Amino acid sequence: MAYDVEILRLSPFALFDLKGAAEALEDWAPELSGLPGDPNALARNGEVLHCHVGPQHWLLRAPLEEENRLDAALRPNTAPPEISLVRVSDTLTFFRLTGPDAGEVLSIGCPLDLLPGVFGDTAVSFTELFGLKALVLRCAGGFEIAVEQSYGDMIADYLARATV
Amino acid sequence: MMNIPCPFCGARNESEFAYGGPVKPDRPDPNAVPDEDWTAYLTRVPNPLGPVQERWHHVRGCGTWLTIWRDTRTHDIVEGPSDAG
Ligand SMILES: [Zn+2]
Repeated sequence: MAYDVEILRLSPFALFDLKGAAEALEDWAPELSGLPGDPNALARNGEVLHCHVGPQHWLLRAPLEEENRLDAALRPNTAPPEISLVRVSDTLTFFRLTGPDAGEVLSIGCPLDLLPGVFGDTAVSFTELFGLKALVLRCAGGFEIAVEQSYGDMIADYLARATV
Repeated sequence: MMNIPCPFCGARNESEFAYGGPVKPDRPDPNAVPDEDWTAYLTRVPNPLGPVQERWHHVRGCGTWLTIWRDTRTHDIVEGPSDAG
């Protein structure tokens, strides 16, 4: 069966893994103000995303050009012990699936209920995709997913085979 | 397939989780209990016909460890016995 979907492998983003209490993170770096409090929720500020992916755990995604500026603003190396800020830009590969069948294609390999009433515009979550841990969020016209960088080629292949 | 309630994410598919084994009784002091009790603690895995308390790790999700009671006859996630710790 052919699906009406466009699959695009995205170029790398600046990514920072943030752990600790939200207040402590925001106190340390005003850059982080407005971290979403609801589980598996994301806050968008232009192209910068703050994703609440676990208890006291956020993922910050920004355009790669912002990496050095963010590194200077977040000062990971001098952070107090109760919080952790780690640059992880190299660890995840993102794909964008857009088109009428984007949800159908994703649901081949992902057990999440992706209907808009359950998984809306501000939803983000780590889940499973073709047996791998994967991040899923919505974008205009579809979904973005991310897997560990080393699985990028494999997932590109799986998606291509699934949509033939 | 089970739908396992994660305290952070809500109910999620079993395939997102890793099984962490049954909850074992508290570790006794091997010098204070008979050898029989100590051996039982080391070697006997809780495996009742009915509700068993288990640990699960939301490894392909938010990373939380959680504890549930599962009925081994039905796979249903159930309330634990009222006298359970
Ligand atoms: Zn979870």
